[in-house]
Amino acid sequence: MVKYALFLGCQIPMRLPSIEIASRRVFKTLGLEAIDLLGYSCCPEPVVSRLLDETAALATSARNLTLAEDLGLDMLTLCNGCYETLAEANEILKHDAEKRSRVNEILKHYGREYLGKADVKHIIEVLHEDIGLEKIREHVAKPLKINVALHYGCHLYREYKGSDIMRKPNMMREIVMQTGVNIVDYGLERLCCGYPSMQADEEFSLKHRLLPKLSRMRSKGAEAILTICPACTIQFEIGQVMLRPHGFQFNMPCINLMELLALSFGAPPSDLHLELHRSPVQQLINKVLGVR
Amino acid sequence: MAASLEEKIINHIREAAGGGLIEAYKQREKRVFARIKPEAFREAVKSIRERYKTLRFITISAVDNGLDMEYLYHFHIDSVVLTLKVTKPKEDNSLESISDIIPAANLIEREISDLFGVKLLGHPQPEHGLVLTKDWPDDKRPLRKPFEGALPPQARPVAEALISSGCVAPISSFIQRKREEAGLPKSPAFTFTDENAMREFHGIVKDVGLAEKAGFDWEKKRLRYK
Repeated sequence: MVKYALFLGCQIPMRLPSIEIASRRVFKTLGLEAIDLLGYSCCPEPVVSRLLDETAALATSARNLTLAEDLGLDMLTLCNGCYETLAEANEILKHDAEKRSRVNEILKHYGREYLGKADVKHIIEVLHEDIGLEKIREHVAKPLKINVALHYGCHLYREYKGSDIMRKPNMMREIVMQTGVNIVDYGLERLCCGYPSMQADEEFSLKHRLLPKLSRMRSKGAEAILTICPACTIQFEIGQVMLRPHGFQFNMPCINLMELLALSFGAPPSDLHLELHRSPVQQLINKVLGVR
Repeated sequence: MAASLEEKIINHIREAAGGGLIEAYKQREKRVFARIKPEAFREAVKSIRERYKTLRFITISAVDNGLDMEYLYHFHIDSVVLTLKVTKPKEDNSLESISDIIPAANLIEREISDLFGVKLLGHPQPEHGLVLTKDWPDDKRPLRKPFEGALPPQARPVAEALISSGCVAPISSFIQRKREEAGLPKSPAFTFTDENAMREFHGIVKDVGLAEKAGFDWEKKRLRYK
């Protein structure tokens, strides 16, 4: 059985629990044992924590990594942001003896030591490499006949052990293809959704990042946006609401890959609490599945 | 080997300030710095004044760091320049005068009060009007900076949530209810669900000075500025 230490992060359990619900169902179906990390903290959020202090950011990541080391397991993340923060911290601490020593000097007061024994993996890698496409395809009981536009999210392009930045996005595409949905190529896949620039310049984020993507997705016939990153999901959902006062109406459902997998494996939509979405995901799924 | 004058001064400050001393060090030849807590500062100055008869007061530098005022008191003792540093939160906005111990500090304390808008305590002429006109408005002091820390406004809620709870997305009671309906625990196994984990996380945050850099108030569990 594939076994990992599960790092849930902040956004999924606190704001988008339907992704957590779906993920746990997918894990069970695919025989993936995910052990919850007890007492974990934010990965931490990189912009603010690094703005203040790099050692603080590294020490916080290192503490989270030691929780996985204590379990003797590699770490699995469901969020692109958590993946980048933790995988990057892991690489820095593994290879920079001075920074590792500084961080361990802090951790030792709490009986902890970062050893660099745990790897950090994104759920996309685990599904593709550990579970395999064939096994995923075998479990697809209800292929959803919908046109989806993929949004991979900027941090999915981050690579720490090689230089092929398309490795994980291609993996995601191949996983999605197993579910039977129709992927709509729209040419702006690599454009950022605008989430990180939202704090600095709302208008830029909405009109120069989100709007071109949504317009192109719709013009190419996409019925839904498919994401893997919770931050991008929030941007696509809240951003559509924020675009309305500017005269742009989209109302496009934004579904997470883990939700798509759970539904394709036959999970009843009502069990996934899709009503927690701020875009019409539930309405779309009910329509496609003929649920009243 | 006999102790140098710098070492003797450091030792004397250690004794005079006691638990009120934060640090004292020789920066280089003939240059000594000491950081002292505000509550121990006047006694330390008195003690140095009594011990070193050749002590000469140079001036006070005041620095507005946004959230705190830093005062650097420069003295000359024989051939050594000694700087005593005191930091006071701007919420307090007062400066205890040492002009009764060091009369020469009288004018520079008034100048600082005028330019930064800090209230002088125990000064014979605490009202402003040395370098500014008497009718100069209290809220427009020339060298006073806005009450702000290192973080831009957009980053403040994230930093506050991160430091106080270890999580940047506080959970609502609605989501807690929905989680329970779905058979999940009310909250994930975050730091704030475990007392020991929270203590450990806060310990690390304090050890690395993150809270101080962000301007976090531990008693109120929020940033000192909005």
